[in-house]
Amino acid sequence: MKIAVFWGCRILTGQYAYEMSIRETFPQLGIELVDLKEASCCGDPVKSLNRFAALYLASRSLALANQTGLTDLLAPCSRCHFTLSETKYLLERDAETREKIEKLLKEENLELNPDIEIWHVIDLLHDKLGLEKIKAAVKNPFNGLKLATHSGCQTLRPSDVGRPDNSENPRKLDALVEALGAETVDYAEKLDCCGYALTFSRPDAALSLAGTKLKAVQELGAQGLVTVCPDCHLMFDAKQKNAATTVGAKIELPVIYYTQLLGLAMQIPKEKLGLQLNQTPVQRLLVA
Amino acid sequence: MSLTDLMSMAKANRELSRKILNRVAEATPIDCFQCGKCTSGCTALKLLELKPHEIVNLVKLGFVEELASSDIIWTCVTCLKCTERCPQKATPYHVILALRNLAVEKEARVPEEFMKALSHIMEDGLIQNVQKVAVTETEIYDRKTLGLPEIPRINPKFSELLFKALEEGQK
Repeated sequence: MKIAVFWGCRILTGQYAYEMSIRETFPQLGIELVDLKEASCCGDPVKSLNRFAALYLASRSLALANQTGLTDLLAPCSRCHFTLSETKYLLERDAETREKIEKLLKEENLELNPDIEIWHVIDLLHDKLGLEKIKAAVKNPFNGLKLATHSGCQTLRPSDVGRPDNSENPRKLDALVEALGAETVDYAEKLDCCGYALTFSRPDAALSLAGTKLKAVQELGAQGLVTVCPDCHLMFDAKQKNAATTVGAKIELPVIYYTQLLGLAMQIPKEKLGLQLNQTPVQRLLVA
Repeated sequence: MSLTDLMSMAKANRELSRKILNRVAEATPIDCFQCGKCTSGCTALKLLELKPHEIVNLVKLGFVEELASSDIIWTCVTCLKCTERCPQKATPYHVILALRNLAVEKEARVPEEFMKALSHIMEDGLIQNVQKVAVTETEIYDRKTLGLPEIPRINPKFSELLFKALEEGQK
């Protein structure tokens, strides 16, 4: 299987562990990754400033994906995935806006392709590749490890534009973790937000949201939290200490990308999965 | 100034209300019947007192400029629960984004980080510079030391086209 990848700003400029672990694990599972010719923003932060410009940025990203000649596109960042999916949905229904955008794209000889299908790590692995192939790739199962999952808001909602998992009861990420031999736990705060989007306007409140969720997961007795979005991961991992201070708690919770966990189960060396970049005690997951 | 202060001095502007309602192509805020389902599940309610059903109602009543210059529209964390759960597809999230767009047009106060992100995108296509990650004082990583490929450059024509798109969006 060959798939184009739209990495997005956050992964390319800082959340390297997600990129490294995807680049290491996917080819070994038979998924060949094709990078786009250019890297640019999906349009998400611009939505708050100028709707049309945001739609243009997302459309341009879809048109760059079309340049690869492939019709499957992976967007591992949940915000990018949502922005691209929503734009595709809108352009299919709003011919006037689509024509204006196509005119701008034409100036760079770019073209939209209505057949492009947008995938997230969750549905690509769970639905397209399938759990059996993942189970078959596991050499070092995480037996006895108890983990909590965080799918992320924009991965799940709004279901009208097509999302990778169920909006109120997401199970796919849990199933993917269980395929690696670990146990997953359900918890009341599972759908709660990481707070990332507030870092732009209310950084204190953003940390409070992250801290409240981390505290709940720790009190649950989970040994770690599994993420699939660079923004969520940033809030729970790199900002964990600040988040803990904000909510007045002592938190030491390993936070790991699903693709890092997958790579460890596939016995890929941890340095190749970017484990040295996690700022939470992920080594605990290795000895467990 | 709080939203209530702004409101008590305000006169409804029906025309602006229609303009915003028309702009929210993704949703039908006019159909909101104030059930409060959005507010009961709102992530920003507990922490920052955002009440999405009130925002939608104020837009319908014509208090649009007051909202656009208020801080409250910047407290939405974009979790999309209101969009998902709204029985009328009024989707407060999209109304809030339309109000933020209006705040930019009216040159009302917009959190600096948003403008910074936009000017960075204008420059090289991405929201921020490529970061070095310092895990400890001596352990510093970047794309090269981690073995990641260089980021491809954006077409030099890009900023001009994005500028055109921004202009189109303000029409």
